[in-house]
Amino acid sequence: MMIFRDQVVRHPTIRDHLRTTLLEMVARERRGEVVDRGAVKNACQMLMVLGIDSRNVYEEDFERPFLEQSAEFYKSESQKFLGENSASVYIKKVEARINEEAERATHYLDKSTEEPIVKVLEEELISKHMKTIVEMENSGVVHMLKNNKTDDLACMYKLFIRVPEGLKTMCECISVYLREQGKAIVSEEGEDSKNAITFVQSLLDLKDRFDHFLHESFSDDKQFKQMISKDFEFFININHKSPEYLSLFIDEKLKKGVKGMSEQEIEMVLDKSMVLFRFLQEKDVFERYYKQHLARRLLLNKSGSDDSEKNMISKLKTECGCQFTSKLEGMFKDMTVSNTIMEEFKTSLNQSSVNMAGVDLVVRVLTTGFWPTPNANPRCNIPPSARTAFENFRKFYLNKHSGRMLTLQPQLGSADLNATFYGQKKDDAGGAGAGSKEPRKHIMQVSTYQMCILMLFNKSEKWTFEEIKNETDIQERDLIRAIQSLSVGKVSQRVLHKEPKTKEVEPAHVFTVNDHFTSKLFRVKIQTVAANKGEAEPERKETRVKVDEDRKHEIEAAIVRIMKARKKLQHNVLVAEVTEQLKARFLPSPVIIKKRIEGLIEREYLARTPEDRKVYTYVA
Amino acid sequence: MPIRRKRSSPTSDDPRNKKAKVSNWSRRNELENDFSTKRCIAWFHEYTDTDEDVLGPEGMEKFCEDIGVEPENIVMLCLAWKLDAKAMGFFTKAEWLKGMTEIQCDSISKLQGRLEYLRSMLDDPVHFKNIYRYAYDFARNKDQRSMDVETAKAMLGLLLGKHWPLFGSFHQFIEQSKYKVINKDQWCNILEFSRSILPDLSNYDEDGAWPVLLDEFVEWYRENKSMSS
Repeated sequence: MMIFRDQVVRHPTIRDHLRTTLLEMVARERRGEVVDRGAVKNACQMLMVLGIDSRNVYEEDFERPFLEQSAEFYKSESQKFLGENSASVYIKKVEARINEEAERATHYLDKSTEEPIVKVLEEELISKHMKTIVEMENSGVVHMLKNNKTDDLACMYKLFIRVPEGLKTMCECISVYLREQGKAIVSEEGEDSKNAITFVQSLLDLKDRFDHFLHESFSDDKQFKQMISKDFEFFININHKSPEYLSLFIDEKLKKGVKGMSEQEIEMVLDKSMVLFRFLQEKDVFERYYKQHLARRLLLNKSGSDDSEKNMISKLKTECGCQFTSKLEGMFKDMTVSNTIMEEFKTSLNQSSVNMAGVDLVVRVLTTGFWPTPNANPRCNIPPSARTAFENFRKFYLNKHSGRMLTLQPQLGSADLNATFYGQKKDDAGGAGAGSKEPRKHIMQVSTYQMCILMLFNKSEKWTFEEIKNETDIQERDLIRAIQSLSVGKVSQRVLHKEPKTKEVEPAHVFTVNDHFTSKLFRVKIQTVAANKGEAEPERKETRVKVDEDRKHEIEAAIVRIMKARKKLQHNVLVAEVTEQLKARFLPSPVIIKKRIEGLIEREYLARTPEDRKVYTYVA
Repeated sequence: MPIRRKRSSPTSDDPRNKKAKVSNWSRRNELENDFSTKRCIAWFHEYTDTDEDVLGPEGMEKFCEDIGVEPENIVMLCLAWKLDAKAMGFFTKAEWLKGMTEIQCDSISKLQGRLEYLRSMLDDPVHFKNIYRYAYDFARNKDQRSMDVETAKAMLGLLLGKHWPLFGSFHQFIEQSKYKVINKDQWCNILEFSRSILPDLSNYDEDGAWPVLLDEFVEWYRENKSMSS
């Protein structure tokens, strides 16, 4: 055998001729011709056998030159293909070629050649051109994403997974596109960011789109999943209103009268909102707004369903622990307790002859600390009848709970007023006697501030803004908003007449009752808050200040907690630990942490060690 | 000191006589050279109203005049440190006594003799650090926890002005900053900073747990240097 090998097969001419023939046959088949596979198979087998215990002969005489030729061939073929075809067509062709070569190796070359030849193909057809394929204009990854070509993406995924860095290349390209889309939604100039609902909905839609790709095209691949999460985390935190908007979105879904959604659909939307919540860096800001919005829902009786509310809270609890949600739960408890107290109060009223000045009073007693509190307790001169009624309640309550203090919160209250309008109805038909001459009665649902304003008109017909301000003692900013809603807002809500008719309110402007007021509804609700736009600038700044204050305390508490446990710690380690402990709520900057450390040193909670000023000790 | 008169020997065979004279002389010597608490206290009261226990600003002025040292001279700080005086501009009787006893001074001349020694304390790094730290509590307004920035600037100038090349820049930085007070931690760290950080700030480490005040100084310095260069 060895003689045969050395003398015959490896005879220079024979060797070359054999090799050339074999390669030529392969090349012809690749071009599409039919060749004598059997012959090739025999030749290869012979070479294998001649190697006796190894495949050296086969390898040297055939395989190596075969692989070289293949590499050349596919190098030029790839260039040609890329030039002529779109990405998706190219991919399909590559897939086809790979299958072909694998089959070739199995059928008439030696099976062991399959792996190396496929590698050659992967290298020449894919690896070397990854970026080109991915970034191909009008047919690459971005095009596929834009046009929902889920199948094409799946093919690309299956192909690219074969080569090192293949998926990474795809990921990078997709990430760029995703971030671009995300940034467009959150950008302050964009349309979406003007309205909380569209803002969040657009983000949810984007997430859905990419989750679809993740599942259908990328087999839930972890690398892709992580990229999507990172990208969302990146752009959702670009806009500082995100936490507020998310809370408003959820608020909308929890309110009464959510249009067109079944309980299950609402549940699903809330779950998806939680996914976005996880991406937020400033979760403490979200908490603050959620509290505010929940308070509004509870006090104005706008909650759709108690169950949905409690459901949402338990979702938050799972995410953030009880510290987050204990106050929210406290708010619910207060509502229940208040209802009980009201019943007892009503009973006691029936039994005694207390003068309630004709006011049907409903009081909600809120535990300070659970509910959002304003900066300073706003002042407000309540009309005498309301005041009398409230004093009766106060006496009753303090009898039961001596040692407690009750403070009226005018910014949270509301009132139903009986209103009678004596003027003629403005009539578009314009005919004489067409309007009704009967005084019209309505019930006006207004805020406490608005009640104070309107009741003034029982005393006198005309009031200037300045006078109203003095009489009611309400903070100017709130007063302006309240009175604007009554006079220059929606036409259907203009209970008051304002001279001049401008939107701005000046001290000398004059207000009178609009006796021509009409409404189709008996109960007229006056809106003050333009909900979905979020807080107005001055309030937003105040909220931000409060958030920063709270953060200061939380950082200090974390520092003290850590130092108490560890006794002695180096500066960098302390900063890292504090950041770690707080990152579930917000991301503290190292500078702010340092400032808090200094504050604690000054107040003698911490000290620097004398030997090393970079190490702190806990001062008991 | 009485002039020593050479005694001729004939009386030397009277031992008692001689001894008595010798001891007389040495006792007088003691009286003059040694420290006397009584004298020290009497000296104290030269600067106080009647028999008060506290030497106040007026007395301090006279005191400084007497020893020939300006009140702003850093030697006064060293003296105050030696006396462990609690408040700038005041010495209590107890502080005076304890401190003066330690340096064995009960008169103006004796104290003048010791001024060099006191000044030399500043040359020893350990003593200087103690004096520097002492200066903070000494100079600040006792109603507040921290030292107001004007006093700080003056004290820093006194203590670091001569030897810290960056003092001028630091002074400028403080002037244009919003800082109204300097707390103790910042005070101590300024000394550390002046001792360990090079004038070109090349070895300043951002992770060095320096107070934010100094981080800001470095930032300001780098910005302004690049602007002026």
